Amino acid sequence: MTAEEKQEKRRINRIMSKGPIDIPFAMLVLLLTSIGVLMVFSASYARAFYEASNPTTMAALSVFLRQFVFAVAGVIGMFVVSRIDYHWWRRWAVPILIGAIISLILVIIPGNPLAVTSGGATRWLNIGITNFQPSEVAKFAVILYFAATISVKKNKMENFREGIFDYVLIMGFISILMLKEPHLSGTLLIWCIGASMMFVGGISKKMIYAGVIVGVVGIVVLASGILPYGQSRIMQWKDPWAYAADQGYQTVQSLLAIGSGGLAGVGFGKGRQKLLYLPEEHNDMIFAIVCEELGFIGATLILSLFCFLVLRGYWIALHARDRFGGLLAVGITTMIAMQTFLNVAVVTNTVPNTGISLPFFSYGGTALLIQLFEMGILLSVSRQMPGPKSG
Amino acid sequence: MQNRHDKKENSAKMATKVLKTRTLLLSVVLGIVTFVVLLCRLYYLQIIQHEALQEKAVAQQTRSSTITASRGTIYDATGETLAVSATAETIFISPHEITENECDKDLIATKLGEILNVDAEKIRKKEEKVESYYQEVKKKAEQDEADAVRAFINENDISGIYLVPDSKRYYPFGSLAAQVIGFVSSDNVGLYGIEALYEEELEGTAGLVVTEKNARGEDVLYKYEQYYDAQNGDSLVLTINSTIQHYLEQALADAVKKYDVKNGATGIVMNVNTGAVMAMASLPNYDLNNPRNIQDEKLAAQLEGLDGDARLEKLGQLQLKQWRNKAINDTYEPGSTFKIITLAMALEEGLINENSTYECGGKINVPGWPKPIWCSRKTGHGHQNLGQAVANSCNPAFIQIGLKVGTDKFYQYIKDFGFLNKTNIDLQGEGKGIFFEEEQFGKNVVSLASAAFGQTFNVTPIALATAEAAAVNGGYLRQPYIVQEVLDSKGNVTYEHDSTPIRQVISEETSQRVCNLLEGVVNGGTGKNAYVAGYRIGGKTGTADKTGTKTADNPKGDIVVSFVGIAPIDDPEIIILLALDTPSRTTGTYPSGGNMVAPVAGRLFAQVLPYLGFEPNYSADEMVGADTNVPNCVGLSLEEANKKLKENGFACRTVGEGATVTDQTPVGGSIVPGTAEVVLYLGAEKNDKKCVVPRVAGLTAEQANKALTNAGLIMKVLGSTSGNTNNIRVTTQSVAAGSEVEAGTVVSVQLADTSMVD
Repeated sequence: MTAEEKQEKRRINRIMSKGPIDIPFAMLVLLLTSIGVLMVFSASYARAFYEASNPTTMAALSVFLRQFVFAVAGVIGMFVVSRIDYHWWRRWAVPILIGAIISLILVIIPGNPLAVTSGGATRWLNIGITNFQPSEVAKFAVILYFAATISVKKNKMENFREGIFDYVLIMGFISILMLKEPHLSGTLLIWCIGASMMFVGGISKKMIYAGVIVGVVGIVVLASGILPYGQSRIMQWKDPWAYAADQGYQTVQSLLAIGSGGLAGVGFGKGRQKLLYLPEEHNDMIFAIVCEELGFIGATLILSLFCFLVLRGYWIALHARDRFGGLLAVGITTMIAMQTFLNVAVVTNTVPNTGISLPFFSYGGTALLIQLFEMGILLSVSRQMPGPKSG
Repeated sequence: MQNRHDKKENSAKMATKVLKTRTLLLSVVLGIVTFVVLLCRLYYLQIIQHEALQEKAVAQQTRSSTITASRGTIYDATGETLAVSATAETIFISPHEITENECDKDLIATKLGEILNVDAEKIRKKEEKVESYYQEVKKKAEQDEADAVRAFINENDISGIYLVPDSKRYYPFGSLAAQVIGFVSSDNVGLYGIEALYEEELEGTAGLVVTEKNARGEDVLYKYEQYYDAQNGDSLVLTINSTIQHYLEQALADAVKKYDVKNGATGIVMNVNTGAVMAMASLPNYDLNNPRNIQDEKLAAQLEGLDGDARLEKLGQLQLKQWRNKAINDTYEPGSTFKIITLAMALEEGLINENSTYECGGKINVPGWPKPIWCSRKTGHGHQNLGQAVANSCNPAFIQIGLKVGTDKFYQYIKDFGFLNKTNIDLQGEGKGIFFEEEQFGKNVVSLASAAFGQTFNVTPIALATAEAAAVNGGYLRQPYIVQEVLDSKGNVTYEHDSTPIRQVISEETSQRVCNLLEGVVNGGTGKNAYVAGYRIGGKTGTADKTGTKTADNPKGDIVVSFVGIAPIDDPEIIILLALDTPSRTTGTYPSGGNMVAPVAGRLFAQVLPYLGFEPNYSADEMVGADTNVPNCVGLSLEEANKKLKENGFACRTVGEGATVTDQTPVGGSIVPGTAEVVLYLGAEKNDKKCVVPRVAGLTAEQANKALTNAGLIMKVLGSTSGNTNNIRVTTQSVAAGSEVEAGTVVSVQLADTSMVD
């Protein structure tokens, strides 16, 4: 490629990156973020009030206000990131991956004063202003690194060494680190994201079949509960009511919240399960509060928004200007889709309980910032879609 | 080069194509399939499982406190309140709170103990349980006690003492009709009698306040409350008439005392034309306001010297004894009172009539039985017509009558008169009589022979009264009952008893003939001690051995003496059944229904019939002794006074010399027997000196009258006077011998034939 050609390409890139963002996708993100923040308000105030040393109105609003500030910052960040040409991130793929791995190691170093433990798992690093979860970064790092490398490999992906081995090695290494925390759901997500990107990236059919078989066997083995690890979790999943007083408590309270909602719900803010009954009510379990307060109708509407967002994300991937953009979009969209599915599936006891947050809804400043940042990248991809924009 | 470039271009195209198809596939799986799965799951949980899950959720999220419904009132037939609920308050302390707030524990214990009449030491002990939030100090405290506690709390600014509204059951008449009414538990749930049987009607529906709470059990930030009003219980109007009930209980209590009755007594007063039970009593009885306390002194004495478990066990036995309603729970051998039934069936079948005659030699041989069956009069009654046989309560005659009826028909009548079933009276725990199996009964005539005079089978008193009511009321068997009406909380009648007969067992004509024959029992027969001047009464006495009670210590065995009386016998209205279970054989009165129970029945009729508004209708003979109003003669001339007294049948004598009456004894308006002598004072001072009552018990009527008149008193005769034999003696006098009373006081004496054998 000559210098002129490079110059020309850069010029085109600049023009392309100035294209309009995908409005439907942006609208869906804004809508979900807004509803999510409101639900954090409704779900959190009771516990915030009861557990404050000085129970006041401000105390009751504290959780909501924090989430609100992060949401505003995140939305601004999303639009800023959407203006950055996504190709710029390609050069950061390796450094970010290395950074993510370092931060994952930092978390699990025994006795690290910065590591924060909560609920029996050490998943957070205290970086002064806030705690952040290295696994959130790791997910993005994997998406970026996979997109950057798979996009140039093209049909080499059919090669086992090129298409499978490297990636499995990376994911395996990250998995080991994350399982040390332990963070099973995060590990699961990374494998789902990685696998779907490899799948889309063009690995051979043989490998797909092998992957499907491994996946199915894995699920069956896990669900059968024959492994010593996670056996109690499987038992709780099959009959949470039998463990309603202890390990099954969260699941049972979640089911009670969902069931109480009925068709139309008890009304926004009027849910009762958040009155210290349901643990993690503004966190992993927030969707149960949504179901209780907004009913089947409200829950269906919100799930539909997620559904449209996911479909639109893949639509952007399909119309991306290049393989890199497409793979980025696939990775990010898959992450949102998987996280939504697993979260709601856990809350409804469709799958065994594992701590996984609901995008845009679950309380957590850095998580929301990173999600909106990723949405910014997807919007950036959407700017460079060739041809007339539809929708 | 070109080729390589093409190849590269091709592979890039291929890769892009793969990327696109696979992305599309991924979007279908992750963008559609997963969401469909989730929506199905949500539909299952939120729509299908909604109610089940909501119910569980509400159960943990809410706290419901009940508002007690007011229990219905129980009224007697005249509107008197027999049982009523009033508000009371249960007082408890929270030792935890008292300790937290550093309240004066000593003051609380002393003062609460004082107000509530509870041992202060006990309260102090409860205060020591500092972890506890609930220690009851007094259950169901009266309203004024509760007010005093409230005042104490306010004055001393104490926290940790609480009052919860409760309700308490009151029985204004104490022990009256105790076994019929029954009582409630401390939770106001009926345990015995009508209170238990009509629990559903009486209890009402408790109301509810539902408040929301959080997982810590605290009330929530915003109030959410729901009220469900309490529905007060229905009230009951009983057929029991408290006045008649009182008369009955008094009569039984007197008899039990007088004849030293070992196993208690029972009595029923019933309207024969409706089945309404006007009174039903059972002794020993108890105070409904304190049902666990043993009321009968003799029974209570059995507890003395016992303690611990032995005492508790004995107490339990005695409680069950006094709570037992002998009129319906127990069965006994009816003895001769059953002859009414044998008589009714034989008359109905046309097998006997008033002209039938019977020879009684004191015993009779029955085919199939080796020994002769004895009559109560072992010397025999000799030649008798039917009326005499009934009046004499002759066993051989009734065995002959029974044999004439035959086993099949006899059994059929037993069935028709309701002896094989319960009467279904609306009371708890009605017993069922024990009669022979039909097949067994038909095998020979031995059972029939004994059954004909009321032995070798058992009935409940209520079943016997019910059957005999049917025998005299025109033949109609009716279900006996206690609850006349059920009233809802607004006073509307929601249920009324229907007295439609179950069946007609004998014809009205037969029934009339039975009545006529029964009148003969009281008019000179074994039941003559039940005679009441001015009223026509029929009846039948009974003395029955209790099979299997003969032991070495008790060679003659236990007996039940009883009497069934019907009045007015020309148009029967009420039936009275009285039974004493095992009177003493050493009171001087030979134990028999005629000697012991008939006089009691007579006194009871004398109270009940006027109370019910039946006017006495004296025969000329009776008129002499009948109660008469003394005319006021003060201010009249002697001549006028004499004339006036004569018109009313009084004799008179004068004291003093004047022309006008200045005073008289007894004073005008007094009601005294017409045979009395009125003393007219003509200016002379009335003698204010008290008269000393002489002992007249054991004297004949004539001797007694003389003794009393000489003492300046007036004799009133109760009971049998017919049959002017030496056997009729005064058994009791209403004013004790030796008492000093005013001149002209009426002394009632009970005359009775003490030689009755039934």
